[in-house]
Amino acid sequence: MKFRWNLDTAAGSILGFLAVLVSLVVLFGAYAGVRVSTNLPGDGVIAPFQTIKLTFSEAVDFEMASSLISVDPVLDGYLEWIDARTVQFVPIRPFELDTVYKMTLNPDVVTAAGRELKKGYVREFTVRDPLVVYLVTDAEQSSLWVMDLKKNPPRRLTDESTKVISFDAARTGEFIIFTAANTQGGVDLWRVSRAGNDASLLLDCGRDRCTTPVISPDTLRIAYSREASGPTPDLPFGSPRIWLLDLQGGRNDPLYEDQQILGYNPAWSPDSNRLASFDGLTDRINMIDLKQKKQYVFESNTGGPIAWSPDSNQMLFTNVEQTENGLRTQVRFVDIALNESQTLLGANDDSDYSYYSLAWSPLEQKALLGFRAGKDEPSQILWLFNPAMLEGIVIANQKDYTYNSPQWDPWGNAILFQQFKLRGVFNPEIGLWQPGFSEPLLLNQGLMPQWLP
Amino acid sequence: METATTASRLSRKLILLIALGILAIVAASMIPAGFFAWLWGRLNVFATVFLGIFVEAVPYLLLGTLASGLVEVFLDRDQMSRWISGRPVAAAVSGAFMGMIFPVCECGVVPLTRRLFHKGLPLSAGISFLLAAPVLNPIVILSTAAAFGWGQMLFWRMSLSLLIAIVTGLIFSVEKEAANVLRPALTHSHEHDHGHVEINDSFVEKIRKAFLITADEFFEMGRYLVMGSVLAAALQTFIPQSVLLTVGSGPVLSVLVMLGLAILLSICSTVDAFVALGFVGTFSFGSVLSFLVFGPMVDIKSVLMYLQVFKRRSVFYIVAIPFMMSLLSGLIFNYLMP
Repeated sequence: MKFRWNLDTAAGSILGFLAVLVSLVVLFGAYAGVRVSTNLPGDGVIAPFQTIKLTFSEAVDFEMASSLISVDPVLDGYLEWIDARTVQFVPIRPFELDTVYKMTLNPDVVTAAGRELKKGYVREFTVRDPLVVYLVTDAEQSSLWVMDLKKNPPRRLTDESTKVISFDAARTGEFIIFTAANTQGGVDLWRVSRAGNDASLLLDCGRDRCTTPVISPDTLRIAYSREASGPTPDLPFGSPRIWLLDLQGGRNDPLYEDQQILGYNPAWSPDSNRLASFDGLTDRINMIDLKQKKQYVFESNTGGPIAWSPDSNQMLFTNVEQTENGLRTQVRFVDIALNESQTLLGANDDSDYSYYSLAWSPLEQKALLGFRAGKDEPSQILWLFNPAMLEGIVIANQKDYTYNSPQWDPWGNAILFQQFKLRGVFNPEIGLWQPGFSEPLLLNQGLMPQWLP
Repeated sequence: METATTASRLSRKLILLIALGILAIVAASMIPAGFFAWLWGRLNVFATVFLGIFVEAVPYLLLGTLASGLVEVFLDRDQMSRWISGRPVAAAVSGAFMGMIFPVCECGVVPLTRRLFHKGLPLSAGISFLLAAPVLNPIVILSTAAAFGWGQMLFWRMSLSLLIAIVTGLIFSVEKEAANVLRPALTHSHEHDHGHVEINDSFVEKIRKAFLITADEFFEMGRYLVMGSVLAAALQTFIPQSVLLTVGSGPVLSVLVMLGLAILLSICSTVDAFVALGFVGTFSFGSVLSFLVFGPMVDIKSVLMYLQVFKRRSVFYIVAIPFMMSLLSGLIFNYLMP
């Protein structure tokens, strides 16, 4: 008798076959246990502040799984659970250069149901060398460029058609936010990756001017100054106010509900919880604690930079005050946690040193201050000092040069700054200093240098 | 004598009525005070969920029935046999890709498939089309890409849907007698009078007839869409999603839960990717993928519609084979991919 397939035999056979396969896969899976993967790149080279994500193949018990994760050499950081399957290691200090790190996940039970991670997980990684991003402006372009410190040829990040006005690099080094004028007379926010040539419009500001973007250290938000356009194009722009743009959710709102509070030059605290900005109308620094919803006000009439301490509890800024010796620029120190403030420098100066450039090391009790070296000297020098001891060394003081806008690298080691020759043709240069240098090293010509870790 | 009997009957009815009234009052007094408020709240949820499912599905049913009407008047059996090969594998493959021409979701695909069967579409091609079209069409490809990007989820959703549709189509190809698979109405060539197309009908007349067929079919299939939506809404109202989600951890249970959710939620394939996106993180890649593959093929409302086209035994296979293959795929991904 010849066997003939019909629907029942065919469907029954395939269903039986599928049932056997399902059973085999379940048996194999039970034997294989829970698995894990990471976001570490194939070459194992990461950014100094990169969060390392571990994704489990199924939901795990937070405590059980957390106890199995370690990073060697030990680095300050914490584990943050994103969901039931994903945890990330968030470094508080940067991963060190020239160090081989090992991320380990030991095998053990990881779920409440007793499922095991049977195969241990070990991945080695190192940290990439930081790059420098800067602006090149000439008759043909106003573009972002990037270079390394190994004298390789610089490469352009934005094309000639985009005229970059200002920018800020993310602490992760993965992207840059910049501003560029639009056809309506306003200024928009743009985003470009560290690879470059992929600039995309981030925020269309229409006829408003959105300027001085500053990315929060956790890279979740951008603070920027926004000047509303006048009712007609020939009328002037309104006063600048600080706005916040949420990079994940896309929300874009003024920082302060009170329209009377103006703001420019926003500065994030290293923990991304506090944001300070200048109000030129009232000569104040407004600082808001976004976590505690608390607002602070400090007198300041310079509009100069604000430097945050690594723990986000202290601030340095400048202010001009009338003293017994006349008008003097002073460096003010504020401890927010202790609710104390004092004049750190300038209270008893015999002449005005025009303190201006300020930058606090991201890791230690040391800061940089730019000031006029002598009474009749137009140039500014850079002084590396300890804010607690007021002791330090001059790091940039070449004849006929002036320096400003110092930027610490993520490790609080090397410093980038802008330098100008006071005589001759205006030619902005990028200088570098690091411990052991007797004088700054000229890196290249360019404006507003920043680290791109 | 007769009056006395009538009075007795009336008094018995009255006593029964009073007894029922008392019983109702006693029963009502025993119900906890918050029950009616809870029930009212549940009914509100039910109404919202029902309207959500129904309103989302109705345009696609209309689209499907419109396509069906157009097929009926503009496509004849000869054309169909020219386009679709009679060989099982070729028919199953071409049927699976027909969704690129007819972009319908799972509500619209049933009336269209029924019409194509009527036009002589081979069983294997029809089954493949029925299962693949709700995923393998431009709208769903774009919505999945919008939710998950042009990456692995999109690729595997398309590939697995295609594979399952072709395999199921091939299994049905062993059945030589369409009458063993389809309901009797489909195996006879009769049609409603107003839908009967004459060769010398003008274009306008053909369009008019297409609309008449569309209207007929829309109301016919619409009944089952309403019933399916009611059932799905009732299940969602009284079996909350959270109950399933708390059960669903682990590589096997998570897939089963997501397959259950796919049936229960009855979301149209054009938007289900955005719903699935909400499960990423809580559920593994394999579980979410199985939801995206199985959901467009089988859910409560589509099963009710399948029962109007296929015999019960066939509907069982149309549900069971994709279920087992989706389960297997989900498990393999859960065990091979984190």
